[in-house]
Amino acid sequence: MIEILSDTALATVQDLGRTGALNWGVGTSGAMDPLALAAGNILLGNGAGAAAIEVQVFPFLVRFAEPCAFALTGADCAASLDGRPLLPWCSAEAAAGQILRLGLPAAATWRASRAYLCLAGGIDVPAVLGSRSTQLRGAFGGHDGRALRQGDRLAAVAPGAGQRPTGLGAVPPAFCLPLSQDGLPAIRVLPAAEYDRYTAASRAAFWGEPWRITPQSDRYGYRLAGPTLTPSAPIELRSHGIVPGVIQVPHGGQPIVQMRDAQPSGGYPKIGTIIEADLWRLGQAPIGSRLRFVETDWETALAARDANEAWLANLARLADLRRIAT
Amino acid sequence: MSLPAADIARLAAWLAQTDLAALDLRGPGVHLRLHHVAGTVTEVEEPPPVTVITAPSVGHFLAAHPLHDHPLAPIGTRVAAGQAIALLRVGPLLLPVTAPCPAIVVDVIAAPGAAVGYGTPLIALHPLTD
Repeated sequence: MIEILSDTALATVQDLGRTGALNWGVGTSGAMDPLALAAGNILLGNGAGAAAIEVQVFPFLVRFAEPCAFALTGADCAASLDGRPLLPWCSAEAAAGQILRLGLPAAATWRASRAYLCLAGGIDVPAVLGSRSTQLRGAFGGHDGRALRQGDRLAAVAPGAGQRPTGLGAVPPAFCLPLSQDGLPAIRVLPAAEYDRYTAASRAAFWGEPWRITPQSDRYGYRLAGPTLTPSAPIELRSHGIVPGVIQVPHGGQPIVQMRDAQPSGGYPKIGTIIEADLWRLGQAPIGSRLRFVETDWETALAARDANEAWLANLARLADLRRIAT
Repeated sequence: MSLPAADIARLAAWLAQTDLAALDLRGPGVHLRLHHVAGTVTEVEEPPPVTVITAPSVGHFLAAHPLHDHPLAPIGTRVAAGQAIALLRVGPLLLPVTAPCPAIVVDVIAAPGAAVGYGTPLIALHPLTD
């Protein structure tokens, strides 16, 4: 059992997402950085579907009411347990009464914006429609269907002292799976249905110019600032189904990337879709940072997904071997 | 008290034929430490002036966490028992190298990024008795 001590905002319980319910109009939710969440669960020996707390406003403090193994991944936020520094991307065990503090994300070698707190066995909340992720629009899933508040108490599935070997760490995927273009972080994009209806100059600028993440960016979507994207002729569409990663272009010509809490339908034209394997990169990109879009194809998108899965499988294999050895 | 010379010679001969960098034998009143470099085995006299922390696994030695630009425990750092003083990278996995007792770091022996084997000396500590 942990208790949220900070007067926090926007921290939510998330797992890998509520897939398979878009046809009922239920968005996917889920971790903005699924690789960090999955790595945290691997470091604890949790199942892949275990839920964690996604933290995006700092500082964030919790008190452990009982001994419990935990792992921290995602943004490096100078975490400490009762004042003693913790390594990022590492598992550890808290004793009853200890206070875990996540400070402001540091930016020594990898700028990131979201941290994940995984507990042994996962956060014990009921699965709704096959997922423990918080569905904020529908106000269900996660912890009472809402963001966490001061005083909330959350249970771990497998608490207790010495239940899990701890101390294992992971090299963040930003180092193992780096991607950049012309000195900026890169995100791979498939041209989408209305791509060809933009002017040649707009299409060239879409790939060629950097995009800045504006403060109007959250779990629902990221508004980007850059060159104005202009269609060759006005585009009017009926509302249609959309998924996280879709890059829409409203009339102003500045794109919006739909993220995990996006509504499942929309009517803006779509110039591209960020491949699923790269959504974690955008999910961690801080407000104000810049990035580039790189054109890719279906085969590369699938290979990128395989590379992510291979990285996780290798981490899981080595972590299991290490747990057997200790 | 020490081991019979014949036993030490037998252990040294055995160690010389392996890929291991060191042999550390401890029992009641007995402490034998043999270092092995390219077929040559030498006995390290006790008591050692410093505690040498050796690699707990095969891997790559990291003095700093990949997310940090400062070493975990540069020379002169006072460290607590159990504190991570370096890391071993094994593929995507990171294993902490911890201080066994309160100590001051007197030398960082391994080069950052160097491939190390089980038992390779990594960091020298001067144990503190307080």
